[in-house]
Amino acid sequence: MLCGIDLGSRNVKVALRDQDGSLSFHKFDTVSFYREHGRAVEGQLRVDFAALGLGVPERVVATGYGRQTINLQGAEIIPELKAHVLGAIQQTNLTDFTLLDLGGQDSKVVLVARGKMLDFQTNDKCAASTGRYLENMAAVLDIDLAELSRHYENPVDLSSTCAIFGETELIGKVVEGHTLASLAAGVNYTIFKRIKPMLKKLMSDTIVFTGGVARNQALVKILERELGVPVVVPTHPQFNGAIGCCSYALE
Amino acid sequence: MQKIGMTTTVPMEVIYAAGMIPVDLNNIFITHENPQSLVEEAEIAGYPRNLCAWIKGLYTTTLQNEDIRTIIAVTQGDCSNTHALMETLEMAGVKVIPFAFPFDRDYDLLKLQMEKLIESLGTSWEAVQRTKARLEQVRQRVKELDRLTWQGDRVSGWDNHLFQVSCSDFEGDPEAFASRLDTYLAELPQRNPIKADIRLAYIGVPPIMDDLYDYLEERGARVVFNEVQRQFTMPFAIDDIVEQYRTYSYPYGIFYRLEDITRELERRQVDGVIHYAQSFCYRQIEDLIIRQKLKYPILTLEGDKPNKLDARTRMRLDAFLDILR
Repeated sequence: MLCGIDLGSRNVKVALRDQDGSLSFHKFDTVSFYREHGRAVEGQLRVDFAALGLGVPERVVATGYGRQTINLQGAEIIPELKAHVLGAIQQTNLTDFTLLDLGGQDSKVVLVARGKMLDFQTNDKCAASTGRYLENMAAVLDIDLAELSRHYENPVDLSSTCAIFGETELIGKVVEGHTLASLAAGVNYTIFKRIKPMLKKLMSDTIVFTGGVARNQALVKILERELGVPVVVPTHPQFNGAIGCCSYALE
Repeated sequence: MQKIGMTTTVPMEVIYAAGMIPVDLNNIFITHENPQSLVEEAEIAGYPRNLCAWIKGLYTTTLQNEDIRTIIAVTQGDCSNTHALMETLEMAGVKVIPFAFPFDRDYDLLKLQMEKLIESLGTSWEAVQRTKARLEQVRQRVKELDRLTWQGDRVSGWDNHLFQVSCSDFEGDPEAFASRLDTYLAELPQRNPIKADIRLAYIGVPPIMDDLYDYLEERGARVVFNEVQRQFTMPFAIDDIVEQYRTYSYPYGIFYRLEDITRELERRQVDGVIHYAQSFCYRQIEDLIIRQKLKYPILTLEGDKPNKLDARTRMRLDAFLDILR
């Protein structure tokens, strides 16, 4: 069994690959993962895989923001963007595409040609185009993420690029009496506006959209409509990095 | 001897010729034991949070170093934030001498600026010319260090950065600096070669974090060209001192700088380019020109706070090295 781990800012994602090639997935809250299942041993993080119900993998490959700060014992560490590119290739069988990964706190755009990473862009120190922004805005509208991700028509115009000030602006729009659908569409459009310059710089014929935010169907529709290219969301967008780690382990 | 602060490189020959000691405020700021505390101090005084950390650092550095009561501020050829820095320091009782590098590199205008500086500090062209010859002795040694960086494998990117960046004021004592450099060069053959399969160029202002070069070398990549730091060494050997500061590229436009950059990238056989711009700096806009003009893989880095690389920047560096491999 091979184990790929993506140490994200909000969740730790684990992909296990059996000898027959089948994959299984596990997700943990990042803070509780570190607090309850890991302990520091000589500057390294030791994780009790058996206690997590993950068995004893032959090989562990890890990536993610946490990889810089946490040295996972017994794991081979690979660069985050590499893991995501490998995951996207594995999941879609495509080799030429623009990868868009929107995670809990960061956004990445990578241009991939012939299976190789050619160039990339990442967001600056701001969570305005990420899952965290969507969670905050859904909370303001008092709806869940599934409801939020249904709306893309007649968006209200939200100009703020800050995930926190955006809340105040959204409340203002609620007071103005816009429909819930327009408000939700406005939130989804704001994400698009924020990532558009990054995508424009690294465009290709296909966008592969991964990360937790890829489950937002409205955003998929907006991307297709505004950019005029197909948007492929793999079966397990949130586990893409972990799957990439498994691919690497297999190589 | 009187110390004269400066906000960036100015014709320091004039300061030495006047029997004064030039102090590059940037160097004092960044080598402070806690540079971030200086930035915060300026914010408490009222400097905006979303502003270049260097300007804030220079403000507090000047106020804290009470032996520096006169500064030369570069009002053209560097950022316009310097104007407000001058004004707030004037409010605090610091004497400010403005100096402008003409945008179009006009010889006569630059000569006039230097003439006014000479008058202001009470020296002469003859004394300045003699000082230039004195400093040339030191600059020659730094040029050798730079040559050994890209033609050899024992000078680290950090050492190349540090020695060259120090040439903005020669740490107030050119001969002592030269002697330290001589020792370094003499010990070089005993050093272990740096193992790195990727050769990088670093262009843009010097980094506000001090662990960038080591981080790259730990990952098998090394910087063999530090653009602006090298400019501080006056790399073009020119007798006419006005012409020397006219060919010095840092204070002038990006297109002129690119001529030097392009030449050096070719000569030094680099695999990729790191373009560093300070957060909130107008030079971030010039990145789009650099990306169009240079036919090399480019990583744009933005530095905000001193002193260490943040997780996001490290992630981007890893990805860039991965692309180059």
